[in-house]
Amino acid sequence: MSVLSSAEFWAFVGVMAGIYTLFTLGLQIQFGLAGLLNFGQVAFMAVGAYTMAILVVKQGWSMWLAAPLGIAAAALAGLLVGLPALRLRGDYFAIVTIAFSEIVRWVATNEDRLTGGSQGTINLRGEGVAAQYNGQWERFQGWLGEQLGIGSKDVVMLLLVWSVALLLLWVAGRLARTPWGRVLRAIREDEDAAASVGKPVFRYRLQALSLGAAAAGLAGLFYAWQFGFFSPDDFQPLITFFGWMILILGGVGRVWAVPVGAVVFGFLFAATRFFDFPPFSYLDSADRAYVRLLLIGLLIIALVLLRPQGILGRRQEMVLE
Amino acid sequence: MTALLEASGVSKAFGGVRAVEDASLAVEEGSITALIGPNGAGKSTLFNCLSGFLRPDRGRITLAGRRIERLPPHAIVRAGLARTFQTARALTRMTVLDNVRLAAPGHPGEQLRNLLARRRAARRREAQVTEEARALLRLVRLEEHADALAGTLSGGQRKLLDLARILMASPRLILLDEPMAGVNPALREELLAHILHVRATRGITFLVIEHDLAFVMQTADRVFVMAEGRILTEGAPEQVRRDERVIDAYLGTHG
Repeated sequence: MSVLSSAEFWAFVGVMAGIYTLFTLGLQIQFGLAGLLNFGQVAFMAVGAYTMAILVVKQGWSMWLAAPLGIAAAALAGLLVGLPALRLRGDYFAIVTIAFSEIVRWVATNEDRLTGGSQGTINLRGEGVAAQYNGQWERFQGWLGEQLGIGSKDVVMLLLVWSVALLLLWVAGRLARTPWGRVLRAIREDEDAAASVGKPVFRYRLQALSLGAAAAGLAGLFYAWQFGFFSPDDFQPLITFFGWMILILGGVGRVWAVPVGAVVFGFLFAATRFFDFPPFSYLDSADRAYVRLLLIGLLIIALVLLRPQGILGRRQEMVLE
Repeated sequence: MTALLEASGVSKAFGGVRAVEDASLAVEEGSITALIGPNGAGKSTLFNCLSGFLRPDRGRITLAGRRIERLPPHAIVRAGLARTFQTARALTRMTVLDNVRLAAPGHPGEQLRNLLARRRAARRREAQVTEEARALLRLVRLEEHADALAGTLSGGQRKLLDLARILMASPRLILLDEPMAGVNPALREELLAHILHVRATRGITFLVIEHDLAFVMQTADRVFVMAEGRILTEGAPEQVRRDERVIDAYLGTHG
């Protein structure tokens, strides 16, 4: 149980919750605000991370230039998917997004000259040379730690990711309350009604999709910085559905429900790793990893039955027709 | 009098079904024009063509002299034509006030880029829009519900909300799709009074699909009758009522 009391470990859990907060904030903008069923959010995360890593390793760009380019590439990918796919109605759009996310992952796996292939970013310079994109970031992290008098890298990362996340949550919360956010909510409620009072539905959906994709791109950057290495395997469709679990746990339509859902999810996910007492101890550690998913699944089912609006949602909004 | 809305030779087919076939009509400025006909006559399809929700296969549609048949719905609203749907479309998880404010035209706060650069202008317009929306809610006597979620309103109240919202868009011409369907007699009188009031005070023109023939005879200046996708006849209400073909179309006596 010593790991459970380690600050390092909980800092790591907190960092992951922060990354998932950014990731799911994108889904909240797309689904909670605009009603878009995006099942391919992980693709935009991959685009952000890969763009940054490739520009740094292959083009020799400064990480500080490559990072915003990564976010821009994710936003652009959102536009490119949206231009054809947002003309489809809800469920068809969802199918296209999940296909897109698998296409991105398979391209990353197979275009090894561009992405390093299934070996991941370590292979970005080709076989035999260990490629690194993270030097500049680690120096920055070390420098910041010194300035703040914090020895742990994970704690510095925790502060960084949550500062960015809280800032963006605040901005998103403000945006949701503007007339712009009102149009998005109207489109979520009834796109024909929104069009019938003069709102260009398609353009607003495109904006929501692209902004949400940018948030996923940013999550991809932090993911890349946190681990210093990644491969196509890190961008399995399951990640998108973790985001959806967080959204449902926290509450759909409320910006501040995202960090609540992410923290609850993150801690459940981490805490269930320590089920080393009977009956869980009869299973080996690999099987226990699945038990953990099972338990989170059961929790979500229980939540949907008992509190369908999520932890922070408004019940009234669930029962209106 | 000049025609505010003019459709000529409009056709729309769905596969082999010719829902609207060579339909022409003209709606004069300031009039209440009715579009009647049995179920399946193509009235709603024609409405969808006029409002941009469907693109006609053939034909031209002009609003105040401007071609609109290829414009998307939101552009047609900006050109001055707005529509309602057969069932009231309350945006249930938004407040009643927001349902109305949504429809405001030319709102800088609805543009993402203005939220950074022109925040002052956005706030000013929002204050103005809120005031207008409250006045409209007062008009339809829903002001007490302004801050409630629209999903809590009754069916009749939603009809009134639809009306307030469409007025907020300040169109020149409003297309009403069966405004009196499923409405109790008291509300019917109220809706009728609103329509007449709005025409008198704001000079808004109406084109109305309606099965309630009493309403049509009572208020319409001119009536177009559709059957089997075509415009069967047109004229003053009295004239149409006595037309053999109209009676046939409704009763189907001659097959």
